[in-house]
Amino acid sequence: MKSLLDYQVSEPLPIREWVPSDLQVRQYAEATGDFNPIHLDDDYARQAGLEGAIVHGMLTMAQMGAMLTDWIGEEGTLSKFNVRFEQLVRPNDKITCSGSIKARSKNTLVCILEASNDKKERVLSGLAYVMLKS
Amino acid sequence: MKIKLEDVRRFAEAIGIRFNDQVPATFVGTLVQANIPGVELPAPGMIHGEQNITYYRPLCVGDSLNYKKCVKDVYERSGKLGKKMFLVLETTGYDLAGELVFASSSVLIAPSKEEGE
Repeated sequence: MKSLLDYQVSEPLPIREWVPSDLQVRQYAEATGDFNPIHLDDDYARQAGLEGAIVHGMLTMAQMGAMLTDWIGEEGTLSKFNVRFEQLVRPNDKITCSGSIKARSKNTLVCILEASNDKKERVLSGLAYVMLKS
Repeated sequence: MKIKLEDVRRFAEAIGIRFNDQVPATFVGTLVQANIPGVELPAPGMIHGEQNITYYRPLCVGDSLNYKKCVKDVYERSGKLGKKMFLVLETTGYDLAGELVFASSSVLIAPSKEEGE
């Protein structure tokens, strides 16, 4: 299997594909206590000017986190994970999480992160630092 | 607060990953839900703009943490969608020995009051 040390600058990371459902949004609300009605109630979300319920940004970030931890495995740890939510994500959107190596040193990989929907709109951008275990 | 197995398992299930005793990276984000006295959140129409987390060491199930939350900044900005309020919240977690474990900041964006009226 390919080791983290084999990754070169500009090389892509293994992607993660994800389609959020209404059920998953409800489960996430219950697991985290974030019952903000913009995620759970279409009518409320419309009144707030959002054209229907939206997925928790932190649930989208969690998918990016899952992509990273699946890739990192036991070889390192995440030391920094920064994201910007660029577009709203709605249930049933087809989201692809991807990333690439931006820079590397002996014990750190810096990764650029991006998630986009099936309309090719970027919904999330970000940066992660991975510390390699010595 | 203590990082409980049951909470981590439920979180992992909800985000759709296999639970393997690791604490998922964004689990600390659940602390963002805790209220700050005197600050009423969420405001109607408020959305999450940015989230930054720095980990000083990996978290484990069973860890006990103390954490502090504060409002770091509040400002208003005009963009193509009108005037918006930006609220920056900061959360820092320490272990019982007082060592910093993580630091997290969240940018929340809400429609400006005058805009809605």
